[in-house]
Amino acid sequence: MKAAAIFAAFILCFSFVGMGQKKRPAARKAAAKPAPQYAIKVKLVDEVALKKVMVPSGKPLLVNFWATWCDPCREEFPDLVKIDQQYKGKIDFITVSLDEVENISTTVPKFLTAMKSEMPPYLLKATDESTFIASIAKDWQGGMPFTALYSATGELVYYREGKVILDTLHSELNKVIPAASAEK
Amino acid sequence: MKILLSSLTAVIALAAVFASVSILSQPTPAFASGGLEIGATAENFSLPDVDGKTQTLNSLKGKNGTLVVWLSAQCPVVKGYKDRINEIAAEYQAKGINFVGINSNSTEDLNWVKSNIAEFGYKFPVLIDKGNVLADKWGATVTPEVYYFNAKNVLLYHGAIDNDRSGRNVTEGYLKAAFTESLGGKAVSKAKANAFGCSIKRVGE
Repeated sequence: MKAAAIFAAFILCFSFVGMGQKKRPAARKAAAKPAPQYAIKVKLVDEVALKKVMVPSGKPLLVNFWATWCDPCREEFPDLVKIDQQYKGKIDFITVSLDEVENISTTVPKFLTAMKSEMPPYLLKATDESTFIASIAKDWQGGMPFTALYSATGELVYYREGKVILDTLHSELNKVIPAASAEK
Repeated sequence: MKILLSSLTAVIALAAVFASVSILSQPTPAFASGGLEIGATAENFSLPDVDGKTQTLNSLKGKNGTLVVWLSAQCPVVKGYKDRINEIAAEYQAKGINFVGINSNSTEDLNWVKSNIAEFGYKFPVLIDKGNVLADKWGATVTPEVYYFNAKNVLLYHGAIDNDRSGRNVTEGYLKAAFTESLGGKAVSKAKANAFGCSIKRVGE
């Protein structure tokens, strides 16, 4: 009787091991392809935190609102990366993604990595999107991309709903950068 | 005490001045602005539908009003809203509010718009705003963006459909609330709301 019980326990034990093994191939497959890790870490912010980030700290501040689902946002991004390189040290430049939070470690950093973006990246999860949009610019309905330029003293001096027009943006940047360091 | 009160009044007055200066000193936008304000009456317009037939606001409006919605074939946000748009249209067209879609995107040709209407299952006319003339006149800049008029073409609500693009966490159905209040004989309590979406691709951009 005792031997039968040990045998039954042995069989039961193996059947559990067998059940576990059925799941193994999938687990092994998942382990073989871990989610890519990106050096770029996107910071999740609500509108209160973002408004604090959007206070210039001694330099003009350029802010670009974008999303991976927004075609013109992706199209203009290489130009924005060039702007960042060109005006490095003269302005601060941040990007704010309006993607879903679940994309904060996947498609958003993937795109920024591909773009070789060095602008500090944020992802906004607003509790009241409508009020936030209206607080940025009175005529902004929420269309993207949207780019805003603040002077060093925090005054909103230029904004653009839609892709930036580079000549205009350069001109506006040079207006707020001290003459000694402005782009020629 | 009197000095304290007068100082406090002065501070409040100064803060009010600064606040108004801050609003007034906003730069001129680099896109079409102004447009139709809440309470304004829309002028009748004529635009072709996707079959080339000329349609007008007055010929399309419902007995209880009209909902004009700016659409796009390529905008993922519009795609995310298509089921909600169709559900709201079915519910409120039955209550006398007619729906009219407008496409002002210069990047979307007629065939694309036609196939998109079929794919998304819109059961209301979609008009082509070539050269974004109506979008400029009304100040429409984003898709989806709605304008709700009463039967006299007075603008009662303008802006977003609701407060969640994904549709998973809608807590404020701005448009439906406006419909409900208006059909119930009440003033629309929230006449304007914004939401992130796709900018309208205007001619020359």
